[in-house]
Amino acid sequence: MVCLLAVATVPIARGDDTFQEFDVRVAAVAFVALLAALVQGWSWLVPAAIALAGGSYALELAIDDAPLDVAVPVVAVGLLLAAELAYWSLDERSRVPGDPGQGLRRAALVALGAMGALVVASALLALVDEVRGRGIALDLAGAVATVAVVVMVLATARDQSSSGS
Amino acid sequence: MTRAGNPRLVGYVALAALGLLGALALRRPELAVAAAPFALVVALGVRARDPRVAVIFTMGAERTLEGADEDVTLTVRSERAVDRLELLLDLPAGVQVAAGEAAQSLRLDAGEERELDVALRCARWGVYDLGAVKVRARDPWRLVTWEGQVGALHRLKAYPRPLTLRRLLAPMETQAFAGSQVARTKGDGVEYADIRDFVPGDRVRSINWRASARRQGLVVNDRHPERNTDVVLFVDSFADVRYGDRSVLDDAVRAAAALATKYLEHRDRVGLVGFGGVLRWLQPGMGSTQRYRLVETLLETGVAPTYTWRDVNVIPARILPPAALVLALSPLVDPRFVVALEDLRGRRYDVAVVEVDPVPLVRPGRTEVERAAYRLWLLEREVHRWRLESRGIGIATWGDGALDTVLEEVRTFRRYARTAHV
Repeated sequence: MVCLLAVATVPIARGDDTFQEFDVRVAAVAFVALLAALVQGWSWLVPAAIALAGGSYALELAIDDAPLDVAVPVVAVGLLLAAELAYWSLDERSRVPGDPGQGLRRAALVALGAMGALVVASALLALVDEVRGRGIALDLAGAVATVAVVVMVLATARDQSSSGS
Repeated sequence: MTRAGNPRLVGYVALAALGLLGALALRRPELAVAAAPFALVVALGVRARDPRVAVIFTMGAERTLEGADEDVTLTVRSERAVDRLELLLDLPAGVQVAAGEAAQSLRLDAGEERELDVALRCARWGVYDLGAVKVRARDPWRLVTWEGQVGALHRLKAYPRPLTLRRLLAPMETQAFAGSQVARTKGDGVEYADIRDFVPGDRVRSINWRASARRQGLVVNDRHPERNTDVVLFVDSFADVRYGDRSVLDDAVRAAAALATKYLEHRDRVGLVGFGGVLRWLQPGMGSTQRYRLVETLLETGVAPTYTWRDVNVIPARILPPAALVLALSPLVDPRFVVALEDLRGRRYDVAVVEVDPVPLVRPGRTEVERAAYRLWLLEREVHRWRLESRGIGIATWGDGALDTVLEEVRTFRRYARTAHV
């Protein structure tokens, strides 16, 4: 929740008064959604809360129309950490006793994931900065990647429904 | 094992897609960068493969006593490394974990084998199928799970816990073979019966010299021979009365097992009739094999509701040998069982009843109608009891006390009861 709030404060700190008011409300909704997810065990609310916080950031970027934001790797890591830790909390509800050191191992894995995310996001940002404005080819590549991810979403959803039945 | 995606997988894929779509729509590459870590985790997670877990369930013995601990070992092996393997011992109702955990999680390296020790306890007698283990393996990123049920089924028979019995109910008539029961007839034996005049053919060692001296003629001692008996345990399985963890059928089966064991120790032949919705019987026999047969037949006893009228004609004739003691164990709830007992008595069987008391297990109710029904039920039970007693059938109620005391009550009734005209 701290990670989510940290991400949510980025657009609040940057935006003008009108946007700040709107963004505080969005952040509050995201916070309540994550809280409800953790308390009630509703895992489907976790991505919704993350999406709200990320959406607020995206809106601020779109309105501000600033050049490439260098803080985005930190925001990406914040969002990933918020999601990882929220899902970890939900996993702990099962209360299956495990081997000693399982928690530490998982914490190390989450930290490693966050570091990896930071490195990848920074590299991508550098790449984007390098190739930005070089024509339509990059836009096409982005569109293809988006379509691929959407296909992956649909395939995953189909897997879920078939294993559920 | 079945592969399934976690909610996290759907969530991460959705977030990645949302980020990329947002990047395209708003023309802000930062959103694609923010979505990249989620896409990266998904890409790492979906590469995980089925760990191929095998679980071997090993049980120390096939038989145990209710309430006793039985050690069980779970040997877990995985072909591929599993970051988190959750095992849930799927136990049937009536079996609980006495030591260890029913649900455990562990981490296994590729080819690693681990043994988990668990002690199980059967809270109630019965036959239990154990060995089903639910397995759930998770990848390190918790995106994909493999779930399944492994392990072969093992049958565990929980015998009723033994009850203390010092003295048994003696039947009116004994059988022809040697046993431990003092017969009412006269013959060769240990117990003194009477004296009579000497007749040619009497053994010299039977002569009572003191009595002969007083009577100026030879008199000999008559003795009661020790014979075996036939006992048929007649268990009422028409209905069960249950409250909390107590049940009259459970108690009846415990008592039947204890009585069977004790009679068999006295070299008597013991048979069994489970009279109810399903008729179960076991021909009278003796020895330790018969004991196991009896107990295992008792373990199958359960209530199968039926509305059809049943009488003793459905019992095969060889199950009820002549002059056998029919020892009934019943809560006297179903009138069909009471009629069956009257019928048996009418056929000149020696019948005695241990009434497993259901009254403490029944609440009188809150409303006046419920309380009236309760009182009527109690009166109906009195009528059942009176009907049986008037036919010379000894009854004693068994509640929380010792079974020995109850048998003593029946013995006293039979000692002083007049011969019934049936």
